[in-house]
Amino acid sequence: MQFIDDVDSDDNSLISKSEKRVSSTVELAKKLGAKRVDKSLKDSSDSSYLVTSDDIDNFLSSKDSSENKNSISIDDDRVNHYNSGQFIPFKFRGEAKEYFKIWIVNIALTLLTLGIYSAWAKVRNNRYMYSNTYLNGSNFEYNASPKRVLYGRVIVFLFYALFLLFSDVLYNQTLALGVVAIFLLLLPWLIRQAISFRLKSASYRNIHFRYHGQTRSFYKLVLVIIILVTILFLPLIISKYIDVNSGFISLLSFAFTFLFFIIGIPILYLKFKELIINNSAYGNSLFRFEATKSSVVGLFIKMAFATTIVSLIIGVITIVTSSGFAKILNITDLNLKSDISVLLTTTGVSFIYLVSIGLYKGINDGYLSNFTRDHTKIVNGELKGTISPFKLGFISMTNIFVVIFSLGLMYPWAKMRYLRYKIENTHFKCKEYTQFSSDGRDRGSTVGEEAVDFFDIDIGV
Amino acid sequence: MTLEAKLYDGVSSQEHCVEIHFSDDKRVVIDEFNLNEPIESVKISSRLGNTPRVIEFSSGIRVKCEDNDTIDKILNRLEYKKGVVHKLESSWKFAISSLAAIVFFTIFMLTFGADYSADLLASKLPQNTLDSASKKALSQLDKGYLHKSNLSNERKVEIIKLFNKLTNGDKHYKLHFRSSPKMGPNAFMLPSGDTILLDELVFLDKDPNLYGTLGVLAHEKGHYIYKHGLKSLIKGTIATTLVSYLSGDVTFLATTIPTILITSKYSRENEREADIYAKSELKRLKISSKPLANIFKELNIYVKKRGSKSESSLISWVSSHPTTKSRIDYFNKD
Repeated sequence: MQFIDDVDSDDNSLISKSEKRVSSTVELAKKLGAKRVDKSLKDSSDSSYLVTSDDIDNFLSSKDSSENKNSISIDDDRVNHYNSGQFIPFKFRGEAKEYFKIWIVNIALTLLTLGIYSAWAKVRNNRYMYSNTYLNGSNFEYNASPKRVLYGRVIVFLFYALFLLFSDVLYNQTLALGVVAIFLLLLPWLIRQAISFRLKSASYRNIHFRYHGQTRSFYKLVLVIIILVTILFLPLIISKYIDVNSGFISLLSFAFTFLFFIIGIPILYLKFKELIINNSAYGNSLFRFEATKSSVVGLFIKMAFATTIVSLIIGVITIVTSSGFAKILNITDLNLKSDISVLLTTTGVSFIYLVSIGLYKGINDGYLSNFTRDHTKIVNGELKGTISPFKLGFISMTNIFVVIFSLGLMYPWAKMRYLRYKIENTHFKCKEYTQFSSDGRDRGSTVGEEAVDFFDIDIGV
Repeated sequence: MTLEAKLYDGVSSQEHCVEIHFSDDKRVVIDEFNLNEPIESVKISSRLGNTPRVIEFSSGIRVKCEDNDTIDKILNRLEYKKGVVHKLESSWKFAISSLAAIVFFTIFMLTFGADYSADLLASKLPQNTLDSASKKALSQLDKGYLHKSNLSNERKVEIIKLFNKLTNGDKHYKLHFRSSPKMGPNAFMLPSGDTILLDELVFLDKDPNLYGTLGVLAHEKGHYIYKHGLKSLIKGTIATTLVSYLSGDVTFLATTIPTILITSKYSRENEREADIYAKSELKRLKISSKPLANIFKELNIYVKKRGSKSESSLISWVSSHPTTKSRIDYFNKD
């Protein structure tokens, strides 16, 4: 289920290739020779070619990258088949150059067909990500049918057009609000549909993923969120109607907010993850999400701590550099001063904004992904995440600048880089890869998926 | 022809190494599993990069093979229909052509395409739809921004007389007097011909005959005649859709800045068009355009007093109005 997390939720994000680790792994593979591997595959009917420990040692001493030791024993996943129950990493074989061509043709065809091709583009794009994700020598598959994706898109688009018609053309705000209300009422159901569609579209070794979650549970969760938010604003509402000491109210308000962020949000996150993962299945085998409340609270405290430290560092650097610029500005031509300072401030603010957005996104993604992986289990198997949140933050931040300065052309490279780092730092341990079974598949409806896609709702599945 | 492949039966996650055979009478055969089907009844996935090819039999059994080139050769020989997309996706020539097509299409859509579709839509939209929409917009404005006018009846009659001169008494145009401290000196004409004149603008007019006000009304009529409001709405929608699709994720930089630049350029052109129209209308009525120049001067002072954007060299090119100075010069030349 984790590869879905990787491939789908990052659909619209800037993404990657982990430098050292991956390049050394790839290099090792090259050095030891894909040729040699292929040859040995043909020569011996036994397909369990393993890199010898000598090879690894030679390589490591020449490369001086001791931190990569544990990941290196996997050379080429076409040849290595593990059944011994040790953790092995997922492999990602997407290549920036190859993906660039697919990506650019997708955009061109989508524009030239005025958007109709976008459904095919989406399927080809997802197919590329899934098909290049390997576990134990076999790759994943994305099986959605483009035509059905198109139907979903048309329905969602018509709904949105209806809203625009009422709100912007006919100025009938009551009807426009009605459309919004219907959408909000349907939203929990749509999210469930989207989760279900994403899982049902994926398969591994011709066994499809499934989703058994009930719509009722999604409405229940939303109800809980509404109640919690109401409680959050309770002190403010009370103070409007009853005359109480304002100091007491603000103290109460502070306490509620603090509790909401430190306990409320983590537990809601946990409930949402449980709702998704505990109802997901690979064939007939159910996934389990086994995280305790205290561990999720601990995770969010860790994340808050990391974010605070990063913010402090950014803040200090900003103050130092901006005061430096201010000094330089004093010497320049007075007439130009206001214009230059406007320009500098705008650039500076955008720069800091992008740096922070990139870092926070990567860091949070890293922490949350590791947490999800570490607590997800399936019969006789479990996942593990070894993502370094700060490294992912760095990748995500640098990706943003690479994409901007290349006018978007490096987007495929950035996406491969991010995905590769995340996927190759996901590990799976399983006693028996052949144990899973299935009795058929169903396809799921596309409307929810396309609604979630269209309005860019992050469901993190 | 025989290929090595991996078979998954769809019932268990067991992997089987098999040999798949394509016979010359167009059948796909796997002996170990007693599979023997005509090529039309198996689904062979289109090639995508170098990802393993999936061959799905009607029973749901799937076979995967990594040797894309050999499969393509076989399929060619058996005259199996293949998609063209992979051909586009696999050559740099087509990748670069695609990039050129994207750039060309974007520029075309933002200029000629947007103009053409805006013209077309603006001319095709039925007048009564525009009328009812405008009435609703006016009533919305009345609820939020607009207040009763405080002009004396004499003033109003004076202005209505001028307005009738401008519109040749066409009943389609209707003048509404309002005031709005929030909006400041302004006047605008809705697509229905309903014209709203704010007191604050009349107060700025130092001309005894109120010809400055008349000039502004003529300018607004220019916007109305050329359907600028509608067109910029349509163009804005096209620009936003295009740019937000292309930018994908870098929403912050990509969607806001270019759309502002594009839409402000539209309205600058529109303002110029409306200015030219106003001048020709004033000429027709044999009225000098100098009072209009004066009212723009006053407007400029008003804006500066309010502390809005100054006319600094960097900011003015983003501004949605032609630089006030060139405008004033234009109306001062008779």
